[in-house]
Amino acid sequence: MRNLNFGYGISRPRAVDLDTNDLRKGLDIIAEMPELQACIGCGSCTASCTAGNITDFNFRKLHTAVRRGEYKGVYEALGKCMLCGKCRLVCPRGINTRAVVMLIKRKLGDF
Amino acid sequence: MTFFAPFTIPFIVGCLLLLLCIVCKWLLWIVRMPRVDRRLIRHNFFTRHTLLAAWEVVRESLLHVRIFRHNPMLGFMHMSLAFGWFLLIVVGWIETTAYLGWEMVPPQGHVFFKYFVPINGITAHKPLFDHLMDALLLFVLTGVALAWFKRLRSRALGMRRTTKHVLFDRVALSALWFIFPARLVAEVLTAAMYGGGGFLTGSLGVWVANVVPHDIVEVLYEPSWWFYSSALGLFFVAMPFSRYMHIFTEIPLIFMRRWGLHPSHERKSYDNFEVEACSRCGICIDPCQLQADLGMHDTQSVYFLRDRRYNMLSLKVANNCLMCGRCETVCPVGINLGTLRLNSRAMRRNIPHEGRYKYLRGVDMSSGDGTVGYFAGCMTALTPGVQRAMEQIFGAVGEDVWYADRDGGVCCGRPLMLSGETDAARKMVVYNTDLFRRHNITTLVTSCPICLRVFRDNYRLDGIEVLHHTEYIDRLIAEGRLNIKAAAERYTYHDPCELGRGCGIYDAPRRVIDAVGELREPRHSRRDALCCGASLANTVIDDAQQQRIARRMTAELEATECSTIITACPLCNKTIARAAQLPTCDISEIVAKNIVSNTP
Amino acid sequence: MAHRVVIVGGGAAGMQTALELKSRGIEPVIVERNIELGGKAKGWHKLFPSFVSAADVMQPLALKVKSERIRCFYGQEVSEIAPDGVMLRSKERIPADAVVVATGFTLFDAHRKQEYGYGLYDNVITSVDLERMMNSGCVSLADGTEPKRIAILHCVGSRDEKVGQKHCSKVCCITGVKQAIELKQLFPTADVFNFYMDMRMFGPGYEELYREAQERYNVHFVRGRISEAAETINKRIQIKAEDTLTGRPLRMTVDMLVLLVGMSANYENPALAATAGLDLAPNGYFKAVDTFLGAVRSQREGIFFAGAVTAPKSLADTLAEASLTASAVDDYLKRKFNLR
Repeated sequence: MRNLNFGYGISRPRAVDLDTNDLRKGLDIIAEMPELQACIGCGSCTASCTAGNITDFNFRKLHTAVRRGEYKGVYEALGKCMLCGKCRLVCPRGINTRAVVMLIKRKLGDF
Repeated sequence: MTFFAPFTIPFIVGCLLLLLCIVCKWLLWIVRMPRVDRRLIRHNFFTRHTLLAAWEVVRESLLHVRIFRHNPMLGFMHMSLAFGWFLLIVVGWIETTAYLGWEMVPPQGHVFFKYFVPINGITAHKPLFDHLMDALLLFVLTGVALAWFKRLRSRALGMRRTTKHVLFDRVALSALWFIFPARLVAEVLTAAMYGGGGFLTGSLGVWVANVVPHDIVEVLYEPSWWFYSSALGLFFVAMPFSRYMHIFTEIPLIFMRRWGLHPSHERKSYDNFEVEACSRCGICIDPCQLQADLGMHDTQSVYFLRDRRYNMLSLKVANNCLMCGRCETVCPVGINLGTLRLNSRAMRRNIPHEGRYKYLRGVDMSSGDGTVGYFAGCMTALTPGVQRAMEQIFGAVGEDVWYADRDGGVCCGRPLMLSGETDAARKMVVYNTDLFRRHNITTLVTSCPICLRVFRDNYRLDGIEVLHHTEYIDRLIAEGRLNIKAAAERYTYHDPCELGRGCGIYDAPRRVIDAVGELREPRHSRRDALCCGASLANTVIDDAQQQRIARRMTAELEATECSTIITACPLCNKTIARAAQLPTCDISEIVAKNIVSNTP
Repeated sequence: MAHRVVIVGGGAAGMQTALELKSRGIEPVIVERNIELGGKAKGWHKLFPSFVSAADVMQPLALKVKSERIRCFYGQEVSEIAPDGVMLRSKERIPADAVVVATGFTLFDAHRKQEYGYGLYDNVITSVDLERMMNSGCVSLADGTEPKRIAILHCVGSRDEKVGQKHCSKVCCITGVKQAIELKQLFPTADVFNFYMDMRMFGPGYEELYREAQERYNVHFVRGRISEAAETINKRIQIKAEDTLTGRPLRMTVDMLVLLVGMSANYENPALAATAGLDLAPNGYFKAVDTFLGAVRSQREGIFFAGAVTAPKSLADTLAEASLTASAVDDYLKRKFNLR
């Protein structure tokens, strides 16, 4: 499990190319939940994550990737989240993280 | 005997359309029911449940006893309209029979009996019926007057807010408001023309005959009956598409509920009966904290059911609910508001995804050994004081404990269910059930009411007794296994939604607190307790809004002038601690602090 | 007769303002809540970035206040402030020609971050506890032994909406670096880990000290906020964070966890501000007219601020600002009495 790379890890061989990446979906998501922009990347969500304790699920990286226009594998990766809500309790910026997970899944899964 | 006049056409057409619509709806709903539900109906049809249901129909659909209990004034309004109208029809039919003997009379015959009396040349006068019918009309008219008054000033009827309606409702409502005044006018004019009538229509008729010139009365006479019939017809046509469908939906609902049908996490045809049984009385609006604290006026159960019924339910409305259950406890129709809200969410998000949560295979992070299992819950990891206290309590009674998630565990699945992902949640249910079975526990203690609820409602844990830690501690004290001392402290207790309304646990925590100090009840407690606002069920409100709710409810807790606020849910604990000036702790923590060592 | 100025608070800001006013021929009166002067800075061990002893800064100030015969009320709390004096809780009124509010800040109560187990686990301490330990000359674990692995967590009660502290407390980053170095000096073989969200090295010499901590003292810096702490059977602390630079969850067990507690606004601020008709900033601190030319002036003529009562500040900034306050008060009094 830990060896799985969903294409957004630091080992990815190419740069995040903001010239070619399509940011529209990311902007769409931000438009619906502007508070996501308040993330300061402290990692509290990932540190407390119940799923992250068992898998390589990393909410912080996933939503950052989406905001950078990197969507590949994100929907599948978000499927690992158990929505337990610990991340919302620890987020120092008060971001509604569970709603973010659901929103990104809805936007990327097209339902 | 003649029982036809052109003005009755709107009424007859309305009646036929209404009948057609209702029969179509009921048939369709019943045909579409899953086989299990239909079998339940067949199986329980000839049992005492049917009789009990009939009695309930009288109490609730006619007399509105539950609304009466909640708010007598509002109860009277509903009763005068429902029961009054019902009696008008029944007594009107008896009146017709009394005059004509046993004879087949079409509906319009006895509904417009007063009109047909002179035409059919009836001269005999039965004052008893005239007075009785007038009394009933007056009874209904008071209800209509109250309804008018409620629209203008809802507070006067004990409701801070009343329901906002859709177009069909407005049409039906307007028609309904005019039906009885129109009947009064028509009968008064009839009395003015031909005499007769009871204390109301008769005396008004005499007065009209004296005041209004005869030719004017003559001109108004036919139109007044036309107007009455049209109001009835319009109401009947609008009825199946308006909230008044509840009149005919609540009756089968009561029967089906008695026969054992209920909504589940998946949408099914039976839901239609629940959804359309909502009369939109609006009693659910006031208890909703989203309304009271955040000023949201579009998401309460009444609006949710309305939106769902007209297929205009938005994701936001479906999700914007704390699922605290405060509305469900006051709903006079007893609609399963929580379940319906949940299966509306499932409709939208329960995307099957094979291979999801495969990573759970082989995971076991538990530790310890014992027949008692302790499942702290994800949230409890953020309130280590609770875990520590539970360990102290287990230690004090010498219990051998298997810790399911001391080093991290797997979610109970309830949060996924609350978000409508029931299929995904089932994987968690299977995982945890298997884990509990593998470790051969006979008792499962959890500190999280959210987990407790799902363990009790959705897990099959036969042979394993599931307890919340308040129940476990309460039992330890009752059995004399745990000795605790009382201190001169004043505590107030917050009932977590999932523990109280969710699992019905109100007394165990109170007994435990009584054993360690003085318990002071806040203004809202037990079934009426407020939600802390951080409910996992709501993914719409943001952090600031959650805090606003928390501050309001915490202020009530602090108003008891206690020294410490006690709760029994890690989520409530963290939320209240954030909003409170006073120290907040879990019930287990105050118990652990007051343990008297058994060893001398 | 000299004009009288009441200074509310006898900490670093209050004392320095009083001394500056005195040297300008104005009569300062200090009202101090505690039974002695010195405020919070008195409890610190050494000061960043130069490792000067806090006592070497604070003691001369207190001595000078005494030798200048500045009048002080001890153990007295102010219940009302106005440009023409203050009311004590004992109902005694002290008339004045101007008032300086120098009530400073309140330390964040680490108990409120339940997930870190402060007060629950023996070896979870705050940065203030650590200063006290260093002052007493005895830094050790609860059982008296030396720590071999120490984690210092930044931003406890700062930049955290979950405890209503949205602001940055400004001095914790550099305090964390300072304390890490001090711990390394005490226990050279110990490993010290600083868990930070951002390193905000805003002052002169701070960045250099950060670099020194990295290069010379081998302090480890992990970019990630600890989300929860648990105690092991042998009283060690197991912490969870995300190492955001590798993007993976990080778990480790340490002997001691130091929580760098932030600076909160005083609980009394709202009530006190209301008596003077002053507004507070959203974070609960008193609001200065602006941060440029009006940094020490309140919205009301005759009421001035000094030190951390308006925002988190370092001791150096506080002392500098106190002189500015004195000069602003002096200007105000001159203007006021020449006009008459």
